[in-house]
Amino acid sequence: MSPTTTAPRFVRADGPDKVTGSGRYTADLTLTGALVAKFKYAEVSHARITKLDVSAARAIPGVFAVLTQDDVPDVRFGPFVQDRTLFARDVVRFEGEILAAVAAVDVPTAQRALNAIVVEYAPLPVVNDIEAALSPDAPLVHADWSDYGAAGPIVRDRNDASMASIAKGDVDKGMAEADVVVHSRYVADGCHAAPIEPRAVLAQWEGNKVTIWTSTQVPFDARAGVCETLELPANRVRIIVPHLGGGFGGKCGFHYEAHVAALARATKRPVRLVFSRREEFVAPDRRREGIVFDLETGVRRDGTITARKVWLAIDNGAYTADAGFFSQLAAMHALGPYQVPHAFAEAHLVYTNHQPSGSVRAPTAPQTCWALESHTDEVAKAIGMDPVEFRLKNAVATGKEGPSGQVYDEIGLVDCIRAAADGAGYGQALPDDEAIGVAIGWWPSFSVPSGAYVKIDGDGSGQIITGAQECGTGAVMTLRQLVADELGMQAEDFELVYQDTSVAPYDMGATGSQTLFNNGRAAVAAAGQIAEQLKQLAAEQLEANPADIVLADGAASVAGTPSRSVPIAELAGIAAGGELLIGHGSGAPPAPPEVVGATCVGDVGMTAWVAPQFSCHAVRVKVDRDTGVARVLHVSAAHDSGTIINPVGATGQVEGAVLMGIGQALTEGTRYDDEAKQRNAALLEYKLQTCADAPPIDIHFVEIDTPNAGPRGAKGLAEAPNVATAAAISNAIAAIIGTPVRQLPMTAERVWSTVNGIEGSPA
Amino acid sequence: MISYTLNVNGIDYPVAADQGRNLLSVLRTEVGLTGTKEGCDDCECGACMVLLDGQPVNSCSYLAVQAQGRAVTTVEGLQQGDEMHPLQRNILEEGGVQCGFCTPGMLVSACALLERNPSPSEEDVRIGLSGNLCRCTGYAKIVKAVQRTAAELQS
Repeated sequence: MSPTTTAPRFVRADGPDKVTGSGRYTADLTLTGALVAKFKYAEVSHARITKLDVSAARAIPGVFAVLTQDDVPDVRFGPFVQDRTLFARDVVRFEGEILAAVAAVDVPTAQRALNAIVVEYAPLPVVNDIEAALSPDAPLVHADWSDYGAAGPIVRDRNDASMASIAKGDVDKGMAEADVVVHSRYVADGCHAAPIEPRAVLAQWEGNKVTIWTSTQVPFDARAGVCETLELPANRVRIIVPHLGGGFGGKCGFHYEAHVAALARATKRPVRLVFSRREEFVAPDRRREGIVFDLETGVRRDGTITARKVWLAIDNGAYTADAGFFSQLAAMHALGPYQVPHAFAEAHLVYTNHQPSGSVRAPTAPQTCWALESHTDEVAKAIGMDPVEFRLKNAVATGKEGPSGQVYDEIGLVDCIRAAADGAGYGQALPDDEAIGVAIGWWPSFSVPSGAYVKIDGDGSGQIITGAQECGTGAVMTLRQLVADELGMQAEDFELVYQDTSVAPYDMGATGSQTLFNNGRAAVAAAGQIAEQLKQLAAEQLEANPADIVLADGAASVAGTPSRSVPIAELAGIAAGGELLIGHGSGAPPAPPEVVGATCVGDVGMTAWVAPQFSCHAVRVKVDRDTGVARVLHVSAAHDSGTIINPVGATGQVEGAVLMGIGQALTEGTRYDDEAKQRNAALLEYKLQTCADAPPIDIHFVEIDTPNAGPRGAKGLAEAPNVATAAAISNAIAAIIGTPVRQLPMTAERVWSTVNGIEGSPA
Repeated sequence: MISYTLNVNGIDYPVAADQGRNLLSVLRTEVGLTGTKEGCDDCECGACMVLLDGQPVNSCSYLAVQAQGRAVTTVEGLQQGDEMHPLQRNILEEGGVQCGFCTPGMLVSACALLERNPSPSEEDVRIGLSGNLCRCTGYAKIVKAVQRTAAELQS
């Protein structure tokens, strides 16, 4: 299929707001009489609360409320395991857990109130190591784990909050058929989404209804959380998201909306919360998870994979948040986009006393790809085969069966490998401190319900009213073009009304790279209804058959007779006096493909992927052996994300995700002290990539005619380019220094230690 | 609490605030211009960058009272009337804006850069903007926008 590109230069509809400073983000808002919210945090990682006395704090003049778990409905919540309460109850399990919330007239008064809260603890043993937490005699993070409710398929045991396996064929038989079996261990540290906007919430009650302005990526999910924890019906909670200053998954899920709403209800005043950068690092249940990997692959001398066996343990942190599906998802990534006849994967999501993990841009995938693809280069090396040749031979391809038994329709992974390698000049002679590393990755498209309305008013101007959420990607901005094209109008004819749960129908939000895939389908369906109305109206005006009417260039014309034409604006004026031009759309989400030949424990539907996305990154790296400093010189990124509808937005996603991947590869990792507290919760100690660090990035889109894709054959894109970068960097470093660095991030200290054969792990 | 005057984007604003308040907080609350953003309150991210007599400073770590008698320029002051500054137009057209939260500080930094170096090399631009963190774009389109602006302003 040829690329169906739209405007040559796409200028986003929210752009002028954002470059002039007129756009409002949540922290830019306030209301008359608004109070300041502050949280009292546990500051210890695991302890029983023996005393929590807020009476002195409540007595301070200017303090309007101090709330604890005693002041809100006693609800345990969580989308997969109901293991959390709004405020700590009896036990604190990580340093950023909230004990109490204060509403006061100003920041100094709120701070005095926090200082006046008396809390005493009896220490409990700190669970600081993922593997140790799985031992039968490990201290329990949740002593009452077996009393918790959980989603149906979730399999749990003590500190194991979600166990999953994928089994295909007979892995022992497959290993026995191998000429060589390669075994590797890798350990990835956790890291952070780190959007530049710290989160903020503003809540106001009117009667029994609450309006909450909040920096969430998922307004409907946030609403559901407020409804569940404060025991309110959905139609009395309105979530509005002003401009959102980035998320990368970090602002998915339900966070502090209910705390602030509870404060506003208790004080009968608007209440406003704005996070500091330190809070942004320590408190949210959305950190990228650390993972320990044990990987084994059997291979024949000719390069055929005979079997793969993986074991992995994911750091869940203290509460499960949305990580319940991570074990099965990571198991898929650990088996990888390869033709593996005999496969067995076992994955555990393990409670520790760390900050809870949650969806950050392609959860589990970059770390798991890093481990698997580093292992894959070890496998290729063991049989003396070129790593690109090895991948071309074993990667999943159209009509071939993947590791979970899914047989793939039209996919473009092999083309991605060739495009990325060619784009990097793979095979060229390089200095001995440089190499090109190659890695392949994949990511699902998420097929879920979504809704939108479209209306055209009497003057011919239109509005798209959508539940979709814009976090910066531009996916919502693209809806204007999709709708305009359905109606033969211009994108500029439409304004977007979005990010308001009381105005628009449901959408899952800026998560799972799903906006264009699902809400695009919804918006096109809504526009289609109006197109039918316009054709009917035009047929009456032009005395023609509605089936013969064509909508193009702002007019409705009779096919083949362009002179018989009426402007759409004129039809809109007629409609305004009769049946109004209103469309609503959802469209049926594509069903998941069939999986054969694999059995799964803890099956949460992650083994069969609709319209899967594929990628290959080839990265040229230079390593200074004396200092261990690795520098990325060039990235060649090839992606099969189906049809690219908005090239400016799409290349922007790849460039941003690749740079985030470079950070994850080299500098971004959370370090814990012996008490399971973060040692580098600040942007000077947790280093994001700067403009001066960023290498040139060449992008190649492999546009495939994908069955069951989104509008015009589009798949998702926002997460996929974050998957393979760290892995490719790892393979380049290993090629230069002769052995892989087995810890992520591959900091200068760790590279240097590996060069010098020093055992153990520099933090 | 002390009273003083701040000149912001060419307008004198009377301010009454504690003398310990930083310029960022006074701009956002007392002056009422929220275009300048707070990302870290610790000089780490650059989202709060403004110009003081044409020099870029992180307003989170600069006392507001020290800005008395100096010309403060924020992102709201880059436009000439209804006309966008070429940097604003070009960063949009190149696709250098995603979430937009770093954008005001980035634009202010870029303005200062072009003021002191009207024809910067790519390396100059990358170093000049390295005090402004962007998590969305990977910087490539921002760098292009600055280079394009420099070329336009030169011709």
